[in-house]
Amino acid sequence: MSALIARAEAHSPEAGFGERIAENQRRVFQIAFSILGNSADAEDVAQEAFLRAYQKFRSLREAEKFRAWVNRIVFRLALNRKRGYRRRLARDTAWQISETRTMVDGARDAEKQVMLDRLHREIERLPEKLRSVLQLSLVEEMGAADVGAVLGIPAGTVRSRVHTARKLLLEVMK
Amino acid sequence: MTKACQKWRGDLLEVALTGATAKGLEEHLPACANCSEELSELRARKARLDALLPLVAQGTGPSADFRARVLAAAEAASEGKRARPWRLWTLAGVTAVILAALVIGATSYRRRARTVPADELAAAQILTEWRAPSDVLLANPGQEILRQMPRLGESYLHVPVKMPVKMPLKMNEEE
Repeated sequence: MSALIARAEAHSPEAGFGERIAENQRRVFQIAFSILGNSADAEDVAQEAFLRAYQKFRSLREAEKFRAWVNRIVFRLALNRKRGYRRRLARDTAWQISETRTMVDGARDAEKQVMLDRLHREIERLPEKLRSVLQLSLVEEMGAADVGAVLGIPAGTVRSRVHTARKLLLEVMK
Repeated sequence: MTKACQKWRGDLLEVALTGATAKGLEEHLPACANCSEELSELRARKARLDALLPLVAQGTGPSADFRARVLAAAEAASEGKRARPWRLWTLAGVTAVILAALVIGATSYRRRARTVPADELAAAQILTEWRAPSDVLLANPGQEILRQMPRLGESYLHVPVKMPVKMPLKMNEEE
């Protein structure tokens, strides 16, 4: 495996790409996971985002540029995939969806899992503007400025929307 | 929560979330058991929410071989991309050959078309020697005919016509 990584990095035009993956993979995965809610799809979307970044790597050599670009692209890819889910949801039943999530993410404490499923549902019910901001804010290393850069809104607006979203969740999560 | 305390609902949520108590609520809370109980409940709920919310994004994390898989996929895509210029060059070469063949064919056809058969050449020679008729001959012959036609009072023989003399009525004279 390490030989493969070394070989991939030896090609000069894309040298350093492996390093960029290592720096960003956890955050990129979490952005996808916060939107999609299951690891398999989140990993798939994260891989797609990195492959797109690879094609544009010559213009994304700077770490900060790469980080901002990959955050945006994974967010959009995850949203697109979710829209596909919703179309499928019209055909499938709700229990199939919730069972998939539980099976994929392993066994947790039962009560916690029930609460988490409920929280997922409540987040889904939030208005789009609040939901996106909240989901991105929950990702590690994503400050208000990073979230704002992904969504194209000021950091102050991000903070205010997160507060509103949390207030709404506090009210409904009895 | 009693009906009278409903107006504090928003403020209680704010206190639970931020810890900052509004002025009016600060005075109300010690006197209202319902609101105090509600605030305790909201604080507990907030603690549960704070514990759960990070799990929404965390999941199990990417798999251990994620980086290697991405690099392998990127390398495969890159090799495909590198192979593409060869395909482009091949396509360009084939196009060039077809174009060259078309140009050569068109040139030889035009050359062959320039060779004129002997009879056609003779006919062309005759045509070059042919003189066009003069304008006089081409003029409308009717004009000439009109010019030669005698006018009113003229004869075809160019002899002036003599008008017949009026004869006296002899019958009257006899009477």
